[in-house]
Amino acid sequence: MKKNSIVTIAIAFAVLMLNACKKEETTVAPPDPENEVITTVKLVAINVADTTEIVTGQWKDITPNDGNPDVSQARLVLKKNAIYKVSATFLDETKSPAADITTEITERANYHLVCYAPAAGLALTVVRTDYDNNTPKLELGLKTTFTTGGITNGNLQVSLHHQPTGKNGTDCSIGSSDAEVNFSINIM
Amino acid sequence: MRNNNAAVTVAFLICLSSPAIAQVCSFRISGTVTDGQRHPVFGAVIRIESDSSKGDITDTAGAFLINNVCSGHTMLTCKADGYSTAIAHIDITGNNKVQFILNADKNQLPDVVINGVKMKDLHTVSHTELKGLELLQTRGKSLGDALKQLPGLNAIQTGPTISKPVIHGLHSNRVLILNNGVRQEGQQWGSEHAPEIDPFVANRIDVVKGAASVRYGADAIGGVVLLEADPLPVHPGISGNLYLVGQSNGQMGTVSGILQGRVGISHNGIGWRVQGTLKRGGNFSTPHYYLKNTGIAEQDMSASAGYKKKGFDVAAYYSLFHTKNGIFEGSHAGNVNDLYNAFARTRPATESIFSYKIARSYQAVSHDLIKVNAGYRFANEGKLELNVARQKDLREEYDISIPYTKEPGLLARPQVSFQLKTHSAELVYTQPAWRSFSGNLGIAGNTQGNVFRGIRYLIPNFRTYNGGVFLIERYTYKKLTFEGGARYDYRWQRVYQRNQTTLETFNTTLTFSNATATGGVIYRIGEHFSLTGNVGTAWRAPSVNELYIHGVHFSDASYQDGDSTLDAERSVNSGISLSGNTKRLRGTLDLYYNSIGNYIYETPQAQPVTLLSGTFPSFKFTQDNVAIRGIDMSVQYDFVTHFTLQSRATIVRGRNLTKNDWLIYMPADRFENGIVYNLHEFKFMEEPYISVEHVGVLRQSRVPPNTDFVAPPAGYSIFNASIGFTSYLKKHKIQSDITVGNFTNVAYRDYLDHFRYYADNIGINFILKTKISF
Repeated sequence: MKKNSIVTIAIAFAVLMLNACKKEETTVAPPDPENEVITTVKLVAINVADTTEIVTGQWKDITPNDGNPDVSQARLVLKKNAIYKVSATFLDETKSPAADITTEITERANYHLVCYAPAAGLALTVVRTDYDNNTPKLELGLKTTFTTGGITNGNLQVSLHHQPTGKNGTDCSIGSSDAEVNFSINIM
Repeated sequence: MRNNNAAVTVAFLICLSSPAIAQVCSFRISGTVTDGQRHPVFGAVIRIESDSSKGDITDTAGAFLINNVCSGHTMLTCKADGYSTAIAHIDITGNNKVQFILNADKNQLPDVVINGVKMKDLHTVSHTELKGLELLQTRGKSLGDALKQLPGLNAIQTGPTISKPVIHGLHSNRVLILNNGVRQEGQQWGSEHAPEIDPFVANRIDVVKGAASVRYGADAIGGVVLLEADPLPVHPGISGNLYLVGQSNGQMGTVSGILQGRVGISHNGIGWRVQGTLKRGGNFSTPHYYLKNTGIAEQDMSASAGYKKKGFDVAAYYSLFHTKNGIFEGSHAGNVNDLYNAFARTRPATESIFSYKIARSYQAVSHDLIKVNAGYRFANEGKLELNVARQKDLREEYDISIPYTKEPGLLARPQVSFQLKTHSAELVYTQPAWRSFSGNLGIAGNTQGNVFRGIRYLIPNFRTYNGGVFLIERYTYKKLTFEGGARYDYRWQRVYQRNQTTLETFNTTLTFSNATATGGVIYRIGEHFSLTGNVGTAWRAPSVNELYIHGVHFSDASYQDGDSTLDAERSVNSGISLSGNTKRLRGTLDLYYNSIGNYIYETPQAQPVTLLSGTFPSFKFTQDNVAIRGIDMSVQYDFVTHFTLQSRATIVRGRNLTKNDWLIYMPADRFENGIVYNLHEFKFMEEPYISVEHVGVLRQSRVPPNTDFVAPPAGYSIFNASIGFTSYLKKHKIQSDITVGNFTNVAYRDYLDHFRYYADNIGINFILKTKISF
């Protein structure tokens, strides 16, 4: 046996190894069609005093991993000293038609919080008007009221926070950010 | 082949006798059997020649015990395969302790162990090892954590359960781990990807600190960690041991056992061993708060069997590792603002309590390995060995956020999943000793396939083929041993990716080849000292993440970009090592200088990346010439009877020579000083000891400016204390150790712990360890 045994074992394993290579790696898994990626944050503002005045703006990055967003429409022009009812929408526009991720955020409202941070100098106050299903109910932030002051310009940071624990409805430093974008606001 | 001409070359005897008692047969002879390198010899047969009914076989620690020994003159023999028979003459007047140190039988010198690789394939590269009591004291810890006490080693950590060994400032892809002779192949590139290995598979862990590419192939720029099991039993009968480890912090319990035996007659049978480990821990605690979701659940097993007949041997080994590790909830950062919010907190945002629950996010990692090795020893004492292995590593990461989807099935899936399959083979010829020459010639190859199946893309699929051929020769002349070796390696790699826009699959092929060499000398100064010098080269092809990663790395909220034009790293590592072993002083001093050309690291980019989820600092893999030098020191000094002073120091300096700056993530200076009080016997306790140790780590002040999110943490000082002893219950040896880690409950953060951004390290920890041998 001896030498022959080694040779036999060597051949057996060589065969095993060659058979074992099924080349699974040549099939690259495509992006999962069911997985929704936020590509677009959209704000729709309706003037309470004149409901025909509807202002929309959107921050969009259709290729979400490359750092080249389309911010050409990330802008809202609002009237001074006015009150707007604003709703925020989160979309996946890599799909056709676009998938509305806002419905999932609503379903998981208890651990999500949308935050609005106007830059210093921008005469804008944002108040969240909707709530989640926690007891007691905590703010959610998909629906808000924008109250404008005098003529000013500046950025408004809109962020979506995932807060599986510790949500208190106001603290935006908890959890991790699923979205964080800047809208340019012109109050005229 | 077997030794018949009982060449008697023996043995030190340490006999510690109690006062004489009248002629009774109630005495006990206990002791240990070790080889010339003080490694325990397992399976040695100890007999009282005048009474063949009395005897014992050594356990895996080399220990034996014979009860009911009669007083008077006694001749004790100690026989073990591969060693000359040792004889001890003792006048029994009380309980005795005998230490046999066996000399290798010259007629049987090339007799390699059945299972496992031969130790010290490279003699002149600096080594350090963990075995015996020191290894017992690390039981229950992860591999990285267990090794960090060794001089020259540190650990890079992601919280209390995930740690990786760092050798001379290098880790991850630059450190190889060998599980019983097989290169462990997992997703080693990530700093939070711990080695997929259960340290309980090893009875000794040997660390090669330096360029070992000649023997182990590409990538071994930092060094090699070898986990070695004992040889399989060579005598009939079932034996084993059981480890029980409990610790207060994390309320973690570990149970690990080994059962082994031999089927069939002594020299023609099959030796076997089965081993298993279960580990479960919950939330760990710092001095001031719990770390939410830091639990661990681990299940591992291994089995081996070996057959040996005349010059032929064959053995099989299988190991399975599975772990689920919770990731601290306070460490999640969706973007850089989240990260800065986390830094600003003195305590985690959400208070926690103790719980064993492991919620998202967590890592689930499985690794299985099967190995078959066969060897044949020729009539001229040359030996041919074949080692064939197949391993599969599956790593799944579940993020804290579940994906946005309308498909419920997707919610349960991991965000990241990699499967790496490796098939490897190695054929090594050990030449017969000829006029003080010895050496090995080998050929090795492997192929790997990596498949990514995740929701968020991280690294591409690939296939690699690696092949290498090596020769190592040694020549001993009087007090000098010379060693030289050379190796040539070739790597072919094809990466499969999908075009993000057209969604078409395309592939890219890269090849690398390199020659490496090593040369060294050992000079023995007298009986007690030796001086070793070595210069070796090593190389490493860029890993797939360094070439192709593209996207957000969530664990540190950074945007990483690979560079597909990177070249291979090449290093020249020079080291000198002085080691001494006298009656009262034992120690080693290592000095090294490792010059690495084309060292690959991440460099921060001026412009951050703006994504929908926020702003991310951007890093790109780049390469420069660097040099890492340092000092490792370890001394044990028995300054008075029963007291030993232990000192260890690890000092590393890393410089980027191209940029004339410091290297990031180099270990801070670490000093450990302790005092051990040990006795030979106290009441029912044998070899009891008490030790107190201080671990001092300085602040890492040598960092490149503007490359880290926060400054390195302050230095720290912690104290550990241990008490332990060996006792016997009937014939069963029981070793116990109680350790209190960080007993002053100091809150500290370590520079190499990724969680230093978010939380303190763990606080006081009571650890009870017991090893029962049977």
